[in-house]
Amino acid sequence: MVGIRRISTNRWWHKKKNWGLFLFLLFLFFVRLSKGSLYKDLYYLISKPFWPGQFQREILTKSIEQEFFIRSKQLEKDNKRLRKILSLQRLSDSESIPATVISRKTGSWWRQIVLNKGAKDGVEVGSYVIGPGGLLGRVNSTSLFTSSVILLTSPESKVGIWVERIQSHGLLVGLGNDYPKVIFYNKDVDIDVGDFVLSSPASTLLPPNIPIGIIQSVDSELNAQKTANLLLLGKPQAIDWVQILKVKI
Amino acid sequence: MEKYLNKHSSLISFLFIPVIYFWDPSWLSFFGVQPYWPLFWLLPWSMIHGSIDGLFVGLCIGLVLDSISQESSFTQIPGLILCGIWFGKLNLSSKVIIGHFRYGFICSIASFICGSIYFSQILIKNFSENSISFYLPSIRNIFAEVFITGLFAPLLCSLLFDLFKRSKGRYKIISFKKN
Repeated sequence: MVGIRRISTNRWWHKKKNWGLFLFLLFLFFVRLSKGSLYKDLYYLISKPFWPGQFQREILTKSIEQEFFIRSKQLEKDNKRLRKILSLQRLSDSESIPATVISRKTGSWWRQIVLNKGAKDGVEVGSYVIGPGGLLGRVNSTSLFTSSVILLTSPESKVGIWVERIQSHGLLVGLGNDYPKVIFYNKDVDIDVGDFVLSSPASTLLPPNIPIGIIQSVDSELNAQKTANLLLLGKPQAIDWVQILKVKI
Repeated sequence: MEKYLNKHSSLISFLFIPVIYFWDPSWLSFFGVQPYWPLFWLLPWSMIHGSIDGLFVGLCIGLVLDSISQESSFTQIPGLILCGIWFGKLNLSSKVIIGHFRYGFICSIASFICGSIYFSQILIKNFSENSISFYLPSIRNIFAEVFITGLFAPLLCSLLFDLFKRSKGRYKIISFKKN
């Protein structure tokens, strides 16, 4: 009788520690299932008092030269009018959502930013993000209050591009450093340092003609490909405010 | 309250790994690369509790970090598991100064292992599309991470080591000893 009691009291579910371990594993499973959305929302709440204030916004706005600003607005207006006349694809201003960067990982392999606008504000997976300078990346996942953006420099990022001067398409591939590479699948392409790179009109992921960067150096030909290093115009390591734009292609 | 914090310091500090991963302070970077934060927690924990716990905790940290990272094709789990097992096999040094330098050296090697495993995943995934030389410039990430992780490890590992020693035995996860 004593023996039976001893065995029954040694069952694993009688140990408080094992239940603790089980609950901890359940918690980890939930974290994995929700892709860490709980942590992202927790970080949103913790970091809220430290988001950049109005003062920094003013500094950023002042840094843009007024003349350049007015001229670009005028060109944009003309562009929209002409695109409307020609019935071409165009960007929609009404769909943009301004957001603040609340976390950034712009070094090492993991290149992402977390924004303070999430599913609650209407952000959708696949929306693209632009900042001063041009395209930064695409929204990869959203939680209730936040959205995570995979940057163009991430090894996971691949985007179709268009070089206006030579009228040629290419593929922009992130390498995990600050200079993603552009691949042209034609070794005779006449790419040169200083060429402007825009998003491709043939892309199914992005709207056309969003500025991306400038060709910094051209590599030697390899396997019928030509590659070049790109200097991005948008600097995610310094930008505090961005625009999230819904894909309308 | 203080007693409670001392007792549960290891668990509380574990919950802060993703937060510091998100925070990622740029002023602590070297060539834009941050220290590999999870190693600072994993090393003292595994040294105190052994290889099996190291393996388990390496898996847990890897799961959490993979969940909050956007790179769904690559994982940090194998590197962290390997490091957890290795750290568990290391002996504690009785000499304080040597112990401090050891943390730096061990974390540098571990950072190199984790970085190399991650880099090899990128190479394998893109092997059919691009040559290995295409991704060579990003090797810089590994070496910058090795340096900065080794630099901060003596300070942070020692602090966490002291914290974990206070709650030693309380959070032993897997034990083969009979009661």
